[in-house]
Order: sequence, then C-alpha cells, then structure tokens
Amino acid sequence: MIEISHLTRMFGSFEAVHDMSLSIPAGELFCFLGPNGAGKTTTIKMLTGLLRPTSGSARICGLDIQENPVEVKKKIGYIPDMPFLYERLTATEFFRFTADLYDINSDIIESRCEESFKLFGIYDYRNMLVKELSHGIRQRLIYSATFLHQPEVLFIDEPLVGLDPYSIRLIKDLLKEKTRSGMSIFLTTHILAVAEDIADRIGIIFQGHLIAVGTLKELLAINGSCRNLEDIFLRLTGGNMPSDGTINKGI
Amino acid sequence: MSSVSSLFLKTRYHSVNLVKLLKQQSTLKIIFTILFAVCFEIGIFMLFIDSFEYLGALGGIGLIIIDKLFALFFFGMGFMLVTSGIISSFSTIYRSEEIPFLMVRPFPVSQIVIYKFFESTGLSSWAFFFIIIPFVAAYGYHENITTAFALWNLLFAIPFLVICSGIGTAFVLVMVRWFPLGKYLKYLLVGLGIMLVLLLVYYIKQYSYNSDSADLNLASLLPGFRVSSHPLLPSQWVSEGIAALTHGEWFRGFMFWMLVVSTAILVCIIIECFGANIFYDGWQRLAGSSSNKSRPPEMLVWLQNTLSLFPHDIRAIVMKDIRTFLRDPVQWSQVLIFFGLLALYFSNLRTFKYHTFPENWRNTVAFLNVFSVSAVMCSLGSRFIYPQLSLEGQGFWFLGLSPTKMSRILLTKFITSLLGMLFVSVGLMFLSSRMLNATPLVTWITILLASAISCAVCGLSTGLGAIYLDINQRNPTAIVSGFGGTLNLILSLGFMLAAILPFGMVFHQNFVHKMNQHYMLLLLIMAGLWLIVLTVLTVCLPLHLGCKALVRREY
Repeated sequence: MIEISHLTRMFGSFEAVHDMSLSIPAGELFCFLGPNGAGKTTTIKMLTGLLRPTSGSARICGLDIQENPVEVKKKIGYIPDMPFLYERLTATEFFRFTADLYDINSDIIESRCEESFKLFGIYDYRNMLVKELSHGIRQRLIYSATFLHQPEVLFIDEPLVGLDPYSIRLIKDLLKEKTRSGMSIFLTTHILAVAEDIADRIGIIFQGHLIAVGTLKELLAINGSCRNLEDIFLRLTGGNMPSDGTINKGI
Repeated sequence: MSSVSSLFLKTRYHSVNLVKLLKQQSTLKIIFTILFAVCFEIGIFMLFIDSFEYLGALGGIGLIIIDKLFALFFFGMGFMLVTSGIISSFSTIYRSEEIPFLMVRPFPVSQIVIYKFFESTGLSSWAFFFIIIPFVAAYGYHENITTAFALWNLLFAIPFLVICSGIGTAFVLVMVRWFPLGKYLKYLLVGLGIMLVLLLVYYIKQYSYNSDSADLNLASLLPGFRVSSHPLLPSQWVSEGIAALTHGEWFRGFMFWMLVVSTAILVCIIIECFGANIFYDGWQRLAGSSSNKSRPPEMLVWLQNTLSLFPHDIRAIVMKDIRTFLRDPVQWSQVLIFFGLLALYFSNLRTFKYHTFPENWRNTVAFLNVFSVSAVMCSLGSRFIYPQLSLEGQGFWFLGLSPTKMSRILLTKFITSLLGMLFVSVGLMFLSSRMLNATPLVTWITILLASAISCAVCGLSTGLGAIYLDINQRNPTAIVSGFGGTLNLILSLGFMLAAILPFGMVFHQNFVHKMNQHYMLLLLIMAGLWLIVLTVLTVCLPLHLGCKALVRREY
C-alpha cells in the first residue's frame, strides 16, 4: 500500500529526512515515533503530496504521488495534529463540502452524514459553526469528514491530541477496525502507550534517519536491556546515531 | 519598563528581524519594489499636476475647486481613514491571536488596547501617506509654494491620522461592547435603515429645492465642498492650518496645529479609557456571542441544488466561499456600504439635475461615475479578493489534499468573484447611464468599461493573491498591507486609468475639436481593441502565473 524508496528532503542545507525506505502493506497500522523535529511531519507531508521530496519516491496503492497526485489523493486521507477547518461553515456544511470535493454521490451524503455524526458523537453540533466548536469536537468532525470517502490509506499526525477519554477509545477502536478491513494507517504520536497498544509495527525516526523498524516484540528483542517502548525510544534517541549508521531493524 | 514599552520593544524586534529577512530576499526583487514605488509616486504626482493644470485652465469654477480641493482632499482621506480604522482595528484588536496571549500577561488591558490601536493605525496609514505625498507635492508645485509646505503637511498629517484612526477604533470598541445582538440587532438594523432613507430623502429634497435651476453651479457639481468645509471638522483645521503656515500666518497656523494635536491626544485618552472600561466586556461578549444561535444545518440549499449542474469540486468551493462571505459581516457590510452609497447617488442623479446638463457634461459625469465605480472595485478587489486565497490559510492542506487541481481552485475563485463584481458594477453603470439620460454609445462604453475593469480587477487580485500567498497570516489587513497587496492595488488603479482614459480622451477631443464622426468611431474602435488586449493580458497573465505558483508551492 505504501512504498517509500530512498526518500530525502532538504530544507536549504538542513536534511529533514534522510534516504528513507519503507514498505507498509495493506491492513497494517504503522506507528511512526520520533522526538520533536525528527522529521515525522515532513515525512507525512511528502507521502500526502503536500511537500515535494528532494530525492526518492513514494508510491501509494501502486501510484507515484508526484506523478499521479489527483488519483493518489482520491485514495488517501490525512488528519493533521492541529487541523484548520473553515470556521464560517456549519459542521454539516463542512461535511458536504468535503463530500463534493471527493465527488461523493449526493444521494448518500445525507445518510452518511447522519450515520457518521452519530458515530463520532457530534450529531448535536451539526448546526453549529466550526468556529463555535471546541478543539475535541473539531477533531471528531475532521475524523468524520476524512472517513467519508473511505480512503484506502490514512495518515494521522498525533491522532489523540485534545480528545477526551471517550473519543480516544472510540478512535483507537475505529483505527483497529479499519485496519482489519484492509486500510493501511500511518500515524505519528508522542504517546508511546498508544503505539504499544495499537501498532502492528513501529518505526523510530531520529534526526531525519529511520533508526528502528519492527513490531514491539522485535524491537524489545533487539534492545535486550529495554523493558518497554519508552526505554527503547529513549535509548535510541537519547544519544547520538549508532556510529556505524545502521538501522535497528526488526525485520 | 512599562507594558506598552515592552510591547513596542517586541515590535522593534519584529522590525529588525523583518529587515534581516528582507536582506535575504533577492536584490533584484528589492530594487524592483523600490523602483516600482518611486515610479508610482511620480506617476500619481504627474496625474495630480495635470489635474491641477486642467482645473486652472477651466478658469472660474476650476480655480474655486483648486482653492477648496485641499479641504475636500483631507475630508475624503479622513473618511477613508476612519473606515479603514474600523476594519483594521476590529481585526487587530478583537480577532488577533496575540490578544489571548497578551491578556494572560501582567499588562493593564488599557495598554494592550493602546498598543493595538497604534498597530492598527500603522496598518491603515500606508495608503494615506502613499497618496498624500504626491498630492501635496503637486499642489505645492502648482501653487509655487515653498518646500516648507511639505513639512507643515507632515506636522498636521500625523495627528490627523491618529484622530481618524482613533475615531474608527473608538467606534469599534463601543459597537462591540453595546451593539445589540440577536433579534435586537434586526430591529436596530431596520430602524437605522429607515432613518438613513428618511435622512437621504430630506437631504435630497432640500438640495433639489435649493437648486431647482439647471444651471451648472459649483454646488451641484461637488456637493461635498459644503460638508468638507465645516469648521468643526478636523480635516478643515488641517487644511486651514497648512494654508495659514504656508502664508506665514504663524499664530493662526500654530493654533490649528495645537487644536489638531490636542484632539489627537484626547482621542488617545478616550481609547485608553475605553480600553480600561469596556474592552474586556466587549471581548467577552464577542467570544460568547454566537454559541446559542439556532440555524439550519445548511445555508442556501436551493443554490447548492442549482449548482449541481457544475462539477462537484467547483460547487464545493463556490458554496464554501459564498457561505463564508455571507457569514462575515465585515465583508458584506463593506460591500453593501460602498456599492449602496454609489447606488443611492446614481439613483438620485436626476434629483441633482445632471440629466439636464449639456451632452458633453453628461458624458463627463458618466465617465466620472465609471471612475468612482472602478475605484471602489479596485479597493474591494484589493481588500477582499486579493487576500481570499491567503485567508484559506492553514486550510490549504485540506484543498491541497483533495483530488482537485490547483488551476480549478484558482479559476473557480476568479469566476465566483467576477460574477459578483460584474453583477454590481454593470448594474450600477446601467443605472448611472439611465439616470443621466446618456446616449446609447456612452451607455455601452461605460458598461463595457465596467465589465473589463471587473475582469481585470478579479484576474489581478486572484492571480497576485496566489503568487504572494501568505498562509500563515490570519489578519486580512496585514495581508493587504504587504507587498503583493500594494502591488495589486497599484496595478488595479493603473489598469483603471489605462482603460478609461483613452475613451475619455476621445470624447474630450471630440468636444474640443468637433471630430468627424467616422474618425471618432475609428478612435473608439482602437480604444476598444486596446481595452480588450489589455484586459485579456491583465486577466490571463496573473492567473497563469498564480496557478504556476500554487502548483509549485508546498504546504
């Protein structure tokens, strides 16, 4: 589903992402970890076409994002950590706006809107302007709108920021269910417990380098003295890069 | 260090960093910008000189107009500054994301408001100084006045700017605090509307009674003279003061200067007082104003259904823009005020007996009306169309991710704004021509000009808005005040002159030299061709470059 090949991104002389290669199959939930400024958001932005790679390529569902941007965008969804929504639209109008952008059949929009709003617990807010909604409700609205076109690949930057425990459980369950039905999910988070809880595989990026990839078990096995993901994360990112520059790969 | 000083220190740091950033820009761009600004100033200066010479050549009426022009100029600028102060201070004081940050710091609220007031004054002053410099220089040159005249202007201009901007800010502070909301707002608006209409009817009746002859008198040409010379207006103090100092009447000039400065200080004190006493309540009221509003889930569903003929992505963007526009009172109220005033003026042209003027004068008034409508279009284009892409702001990630092309987004925005602009401008020109009893030729030419200028203004504003996209800026005033916004306004005004003047010149030459009709027709066809070529270029080039810039851009 996601094929990343030698992806590099420079900002002037600063290398934000260095020669990253990675493959994420259908139905996998991949958690991307890293300290602030490690290159997580830059990677996601390159995978969604919002940033152009300096070199390398990325293929989503077999299509190159740079060569077939429109086709790829039909297949993906992206939820940023602090999503901007159009503040002077009501929640329903925003939903319909999204539906029109993705050319969803008008006949099913209404039923999907009701179904989705009820699922995310925002039905009572449907008449309110986005600017009147709290951050958590906005997040739920963006989830609702993102799932509308049933993307095959989903990118999420910090999926649980600003959500209450009820919404956190809802989102975690939903993401697991979506992966079971074949959706690939690529998410970044600083909450390591979330990664331990829901990730099929975990990747750790540090100073633009992908320094570890594998399941939790594999990562624990490689880093023998570590008891949990936090230990692994701190060990790998607390100091310098491994002197030989090798990637700590589980697979 | 007082809180205001620390805030100004922050502004100083910003300015220093801005200079550093400017140094990183290409030298070519900076040289181009400076050259462009200088050329624009020289161009406007030459235009003012020509206007003064034209008025001087008219004799009687022209000389009186020149004499009164200074008061009228400052009156007009004052009106614009108050309007600009209202818009800019609302977004700077109430909509700025800096306010919540400052409100939790140990600053007195009044000082935050004063600081924001000066920031808003700075943002709304650039156009004032950009226009006042060539006007004053041209006036001084034409009247053979000493160079000290420029200094007197500066001495008066700064406190005058503070007064006008301060009136706008005080108005905003009072309105936000006490302006009725909900059903009371509806009653108030209806009441104000009725009052306005009654006042206008009274004024028009009074005016038509006083000028029932069809003579070409000065008052009927420019009724604004009477209002602008009112002794209680700061603009009148400024013009009187400058005139007094220029003629060496030092005591009288100094008295007017003191009057303007003391009024400016009073305005600052009033704003500080409002800041201390009503700002916080107003801010709270604004924050909680709309949470309990009942509204349907979707607005204009009928339009949405009608637009189902169009591709869905285009419908989505059009509906979003229309809904956003209608829900933003700052936007629609300004459009309503500017075009509404013009519509009222045009619909009362017959009351002013303009339709009984000789044909040449009617043509002149018709062209002046094209100028006024076009100037409003340029202003609204710069104020609303230019920043619309930037105001998508962080929302561009959403459009950028959707399976639609940037060229479609840009074209949709262009067409939406063009349809709105064409509807109003062509309607106004048609009304103006009907009221003036203009000949069919003049009617069609004014409508053609209004259409071409609408296209050009929308093309330029949309294209340049894409080229100089600033998605990190949420304050529209700051977006408009930037290089791109200034360039857009200058180019729009330049287009306006380049489009209207050839037609105006043909009619003027015909009046002066009584041209052969065939020759005149030929000249008009040439002017028409020039207009078409210019319009196509002004629309296509910025849109093409804007589209390329959007595609190249990363979000």
